[in-house]
Amino acid sequence: MKDISKSVVRKDHEEKITGSCKYVADYDSKGVLIGKLVRSKKAHGKLIGINFPKMPNGYMSVTYEDVPGINEVHIVKDDTPVFAKDSVEYIGEPVAMIIGPDEKIVNELVKETELIIDELEPVLDILKSDTVFFDYEYTKGDHVKAFKEADKVYEETFSTGYQEQAYLETQGMMAEPEEDGKILVHGSMQCVYYVHNAVKKVLGSDDFHIRQDPTGGGFGGKEAWPSIVASEVAVAAYKAKKPVRLVFDRREDLEFTSKRHPSITHYRVAVKNGRVTAMDIDVKFNAGAYTTLSAVVLQRGLICADGVYNIPNLIVKGKALKTNTVPNGAYRGFGAPQTFFPVETIMSHIAQDMGKEPLEFKREHLVKQGDMTSTSGMYHFPVPLEDMIEEVAKASGFYEKRKKYSEKQSGRYRRGIGISMHFHGAGFTGAGERDLIKAVAKLKKHKDGTVEVLAANGEIGQGLRTTFPKIVAHELGIPLDRVYYNWPDTGKVPDSGPTVASRSLMVVGELMRRLAIKLKEIWKDGEEQIVEERFREPSFVIPFNLDIFQGDAYPTYAWGVQAVEIELDTLTGLMKNLGTWASFDVGTPADYNIVMGQMEGGLLQGLGYSSMEKMDYDKNGRIRNNNFSDYLIPTSMDVPNMNVQLHVEEYPDGPYGAKGAGELPLVGVPAAYVEAVSQALGGVRINHIPFTQEDAMKEIAKKDE
Amino acid sequence: MEKIKFKLNGKDEIFEGDLSSRLLDVLRDDFRLTGVKCGCKEGECGACAVLIDKKLVNSCMVAMGAIDGSEIISIEGFKETERFKVLDRAFAELSAVQCGFCTPGMVLAAEALLSENPHPTEEEVRIGISGNLCRCTGYNAIVNAILKASKEGNGLW
Amino acid sequence: MVGSFIPKNKKEALDLKAKYTELIPYSGGTDLMVENRKNPSYLFLGKLNELKGIKKTDGKIEIGAETTFTEALESPIIPQMMKDALILIAAPAIRNTGTFAGNIGNGSAKADSALIEYGLDAVITVESVRGERNIPIEDFYLGRKHIDLNEDEIITKITIPDIHPDFYSYEKVGGRKALAISRIAFLGILEMESDKIKSISVSFGAVSEKIIRYKDVEKMLIGLTKEEAKAKKDEFVKAYEDRMQLTEGRVSADYRKKVTIKLLKEFLKNGGI
Repeated sequence: MKDISKSVVRKDHEEKITGSCKYVADYDSKGVLIGKLVRSKKAHGKLIGINFPKMPNGYMSVTYEDVPGINEVHIVKDDTPVFAKDSVEYIGEPVAMIIGPDEKIVNELVKETELIIDELEPVLDILKSDTVFFDYEYTKGDHVKAFKEADKVYEETFSTGYQEQAYLETQGMMAEPEEDGKILVHGSMQCVYYVHNAVKKVLGSDDFHIRQDPTGGGFGGKEAWPSIVASEVAVAAYKAKKPVRLVFDRREDLEFTSKRHPSITHYRVAVKNGRVTAMDIDVKFNAGAYTTLSAVVLQRGLICADGVYNIPNLIVKGKALKTNTVPNGAYRGFGAPQTFFPVETIMSHIAQDMGKEPLEFKREHLVKQGDMTSTSGMYHFPVPLEDMIEEVAKASGFYEKRKKYSEKQSGRYRRGIGISMHFHGAGFTGAGERDLIKAVAKLKKHKDGTVEVLAANGEIGQGLRTTFPKIVAHELGIPLDRVYYNWPDTGKVPDSGPTVASRSLMVVGELMRRLAIKLKEIWKDGEEQIVEERFREPSFVIPFNLDIFQGDAYPTYAWGVQAVEIELDTLTGLMKNLGTWASFDVGTPADYNIVMGQMEGGLLQGLGYSSMEKMDYDKNGRIRNNNFSDYLIPTSMDVPNMNVQLHVEEYPDGPYGAKGAGELPLVGVPAAYVEAVSQALGGVRINHIPFTQEDAMKEIAKKDE
Repeated sequence: MEKIKFKLNGKDEIFEGDLSSRLLDVLRDDFRLTGVKCGCKEGECGACAVLIDKKLVNSCMVAMGAIDGSEIISIEGFKETERFKVLDRAFAELSAVQCGFCTPGMVLAAEALLSENPHPTEEEVRIGISGNLCRCTGYNAIVNAILKASKEGNGLW
Repeated sequence: MVGSFIPKNKKEALDLKAKYTELIPYSGGTDLMVENRKNPSYLFLGKLNELKGIKKTDGKIEIGAETTFTEALESPIIPQMMKDALILIAAPAIRNTGTFAGNIGNGSAKADSALIEYGLDAVITVESVRGERNIPIEDFYLGRKHIDLNEDEIITKITIPDIHPDFYSYEKVGGRKALAISRIAFLGILEMESDKIKSISVSFGAVSEKIIRYKDVEKMLIGLTKEEAKAKKDEFVKAYEDRMQLTEGRVSADYRKKVTIKLLKEFLKNGGI
């Protein structure tokens, strides 16, 4: 293990474990107005008017009319209003906010507010949607010829469901007018500058700054949505000239914030001489009512659609379609889980049809260093999948179990084991890092010799407040307690980019390393010194062209292999997790425990996504699963300890060889899970997730007949 | 209106407000014990867990009238104990704290478990913290930290 | 709104309930606090020792209504089948507060302890200043969220027989392994006398508005040997299939039907029928 990988006590450990860490809801309420949103109860309609009840002294309403700048939340496209003006597009859409000192009274006023809406027919099914937000297509090789010459063409449709981030701390934001006339907006978020740019447009001024508060989990759910919440409180505080706080309750958060896009994918796969020669892939994502991040989520999904396989001919098409449901957005994996599940699963199905063990068939197709990617870029670095498969197979006893469970099973309980492989492209898709983000970071050495990290990336549990200083201290050769990283404030830190896409450690962490080297060179005791570094695209990268999806979509890839073993109760359909094994290559861990924590946490989210995390809306477009007894996430009893190994392929342009890590462990789980369940069910084909106990029972009943 | 007496983190307290008030709200708003987190207000997440008469309870599911004569310990009180120090060290060494939102409740769940069963198995630890949701860690590090604390705190529980 | 009260003993509780019938009995509070009523007036009963504790008296087990699930799990008197159900309720923090009275007091067919009480023909004791009533549990449950409890009464005791059946089977189907609300719950109890079936008790929880138990169907097998019962097994199962009208909920009625019948058949099979 490299020195840098040795675990340290996290810098945020003490304040969190003692409960002294102040999240946004923990600030004293004295003098703070409580905000609650008036939300649309209709999925689609013309907004005719709002009848507010008489406001008691000290209470007021806030609507689009109060927005001093432009009533649009800047995300990618700016179609999301801060407060609905002419129409409502989904159940839960914010139309107004009521603020006042007493939460109970504010709640009553919200209840008494009447929205006059001319109802329109909502579109809830993406297959019936005629509004295409984004539409992409790319090809590789000659797919027409490959399909014409195929021995056999396989065709299947897959679907995936919602997944809710279910961070333990709900969305929350607070805006406070300061003495100098500026407004401070602070709260739970991943990306201070995303929020900054949104609030700038809404306030129409620069008289504000954004600070991240301790954030109780994000997982993508606090990438774009906080821009909406911050815009709302900023407008309210601007109007009231008083501090305003808006904290969602759990039901609001589950029902009315973005989730992972549900998807429907259709695969056609050409096989010739026992090898896959081409894929024709059609991907549809349910974007919800506004575009938010759907464009970028879809792009990543499409780029991953041929999996870890060298498929010479491809045509990949994808659409993000509008429905009158809550906008969907970022969630750990960002579009990739929706395509890795089908590609892994159809590869297994083809193998079975050919009488081969899926793993064996898949291994014949694995990409290797130097191969062309789906977008005609290149896998520039070694692909360690073969070794990782062996690591996982050995730890899990995969071959023996797979063979044993494929024999006819009897009795109430039946077992199955599955394995899957995947990658996660590290960092922003395409040229985003170079053209859009252009990260800048600084180190400030104070006179007393302490060093402050100046960057915009947020600690959301993934350990950045520890790993950034750790890199700096390591390079400077000073104790870790001499380097610190405060909660980022846009009034003080440069824009080192958002806390997304598994980029922070790999991209900004590398800036930290270079900054420290720079600082070391000019270090003078007793002086205040500042150094600055900017992102530089590695020279090997084949420039990516988004118009035609050609080039290196990612500079490098993190790799994952996971196996899941389950036991099925044939009387109830309940599936018990007997074990989960994985090998993950995220390059050099910047801190062993922190990286393991990411891997294990992501794995369990992947298991939840595959099995119990089911969310649906009713015929009116209302999400049914709006509390933690209806939207089930795994408890400590749902899995035994997971077995994770780290496989290290160093990336020369990441700090000490580190690659993107955070998202990887979730992405590949569904295919392994479904393969295990399929085996326990005697080989039935499973084409959707989550695959619940009820789904299992349907299959069991089919066999009974 | 009746008033109730209770002990909070070792100190005698009197509450004279509405007895139907939620203990969670009273702890956070009146006593400013914000280590008691609110994750759902429906007893489904455990972030607001405290010890009432040494037993783990979700403070969102308790009305003030139910704690007359009881002893309440929140993380702010528990952090002063030797047992906390052992758990603190074990959680630190295994980096079992990530976003931190479930942590105070989780630590109190560990204390409640270890005071009943000082040497639990992995499965018993998993049962002990089964009402405390954590979305970050996948529970491995937390379970291992509690097992480690149980070894290192031998005799304390 | 009369405000909430903390009575010092049972008598004071009954007097208060007679005087202010709108008082909501507060037992464990775990359901009440989720309901989040507006300005509720509670009658706090959880600390009344007269309503707590478990004791054995001439072949019967009396469970004080305010006994918590954790207390019951720690008791050597509580039968294992009840413990099987209690240990699967939610999670420790809920079991530490949730009580027997609270579990049946909201009239839910999902109440895990109530299923065991159904299967064991428990008797619910309710009291008021007017006196006490002892109600068989199946009469106590009138319908969804509807129980036989007058506005001046409180639940004080649950009595179950101290039986040691030859065979029983308890199954809970939830959405996950902890913090799970029952989607289906099953209890089957078989008692033999010499080689004949003395009693058979089959109850289904969480699948309908009320817990399901058909005593007339059970009679079909009483007095038979296991061999004789086997011959009637199909007819017995079919009686349940025909009669059970299951509700949609977190899972479909169809799923519930399939699983309940499978669990019933498994119980019979493992019981030697």
